Amino acid sequence: MVPRRLKMLFLATMAASLGGCSSLGPKPWEKDLMAQHEMQVDPYPVLTAADDHIYFSKEASSGGRGFAGGGCGCN
Amino acid sequence: MSAALLAASLPAVTEPAAAQTYDYEYGGENNNFGPGFAYSQLDAALLVYQEAGGRVSAIEPTTNLTMHAADGRQLSLGAVADAVSGATPNGAVPSNLPQNFVTPIKAHGSTATITGASGGSTIIQLPPTPGQLATAALGRQYTVPANMLPVDKGFHDHRAAFSLGWSQPLGSITDIGLGGGYSRESDYQAITANTHISQNFNSSNTTVSLSLNGELDSSFPFGGIPTPLSVMNAQWKTTTTRDKTQLGFVLGLTEVMSRRWLMQLNYAFDQQSGYQNDPYRIISVVDPVSGEPLQSLYENRPQHRQSQSIFWDNKLDLGPAISDLSLRYFRDSWGITSKTAEFSERINLGSAFYFEPSVRWYQQSAASFFHYYLVGEQPLPAYATSDTRLGAFSADTFAAKIGFNLNKRSEFYIKGEYYEQNGNGHPANAFGQLKQHNLFAGTKSAIAFIGYSWDFH
Repeated sequence: MVPRRLKMLFLATMAASLGGCSSLGPKPWEKDLMAQHEMQVDPYPVLTAADDHIYFSKEASSGGRGFAGGGCGCN
Repeated sequence: MSAALLAASLPAVTEPAAAQTYDYEYGGENNNFGPGFAYSQLDAALLVYQEAGGRVSAIEPTTNLTMHAADGRQLSLGAVADAVSGATPNGAVPSNLPQNFVTPIKAHGSTATITGASGGSTIIQLPPTPGQLATAALGRQYTVPANMLPVDKGFHDHRAAFSLGWSQPLGSITDIGLGGGYSRESDYQAITANTHISQNFNSSNTTVSLSLNGELDSSFPFGGIPTPLSVMNAQWKTTTTRDKTQLGFVLGLTEVMSRRWLMQLNYAFDQQSGYQNDPYRIISVVDPVSGEPLQSLYENRPQHRQSQSIFWDNKLDLGPAISDLSLRYFRDSWGITSKTAEFSERINLGSAFYFEPSVRWYQQSAASFFHYYLVGEQPLPAYATSDTRLGAFSADTFAAKIGFNLNKRSEFYIKGEYYEQNGNGHPANAFGQLKQHNLFAGTKSAIAFIGYSWDFH
């Protein structure tokens, strides 16, 4: 089991973000930097997938990053 | 995509004019790429991997095509191939005497004549099983010299994998998607399927997503499936295939924290059931006094494995450089916990180049059934493996990437990495001749990538 404190911290962060606090985060006209290709969460999925494949083949842990088909199907 | 269209979209390699600044700003005047536009993106990359000490080497070309429609629909196709070869540790401990290991030599039912051996091994005659011709009872034997880590040099394989994904907005739902994949190599097959749903809130500053993924794997090793914890032998095993299923989900939160800071937090849960052994891997049983390996047994792992992880990624645009810091905590029912930290810094050098050094630190604990070796005359445990990948170790990666923005729609990059695992080669309870050897079989490897990415209409 993931430690209880870590789980509570995760849930608290999610709740705070979902709690309709529209004051958190930039206004639409302040999101110029976010539009950059390199500010995406995973701007080079092909590289990430290849690295994940190496780490999965040599280590015991896998996944964690991202969702959908972009994640490692090599589990 | 017609050949003519592809040819027309191949970019000329030009230096951007001084007045032009490189950016992929969505909705920008010069290049209609990004949300709200119809365009395609093609990524092609080549990975070359080499371990130290003559161990595994691999080459892996990858390609991905994503087609975006203006209304947010998206289709992606991917293909990967890899060729892996080299020597891999077989799981036995080193000895101060030469050791022999045996494996099956030819396909079940084959009447082909063996005229020679490969990989430094010899053909041996085995006692035929009932009903089997003596001439058909052949095995392969290889000898590992004294004081060397036992490796099997005959390891080689080819793999091909394909994936397909579709996603689109649906009514008031920001995005839903479906995908699947198929991977095949000479002794393994994996079929995967996934689906996801995501929703934006807070003026798109917040995205919550849920993805479900499943997989059906089949293992059909050369020589058949060995009986777990039986003595290593060269006979063809009667069970040829075993399966494994996997089901999991990832719950994700992406949050634009400020103009400069993007954060992602994921929780992943995964459950695997079925055959999870490495069918080629053995564990040594050693003499309780001298520590000399007496026999080799096939390993055994539990058939159920449940794991959880929390992943937190932060991207910060601090002006001249973009920083990426991520942390992952992983824990599973096999007793393994791991911590991962990665940091990279992308430094734009003018409009045409960027340099991106990165580091990764990783540490894992051993599985509850990991043993460097088993001791003779003690009762056999239910599960045992000496596979370093399930042992305790830490690993560092040092990497550097250089990217070239050829124009506003294409990029070429190269990346070099060095990966090193470090573990305890001299466990405290080692005895006899085991104390003389390094019992840790982790890898050190060098990795190179070359990649090309371009957008076209």
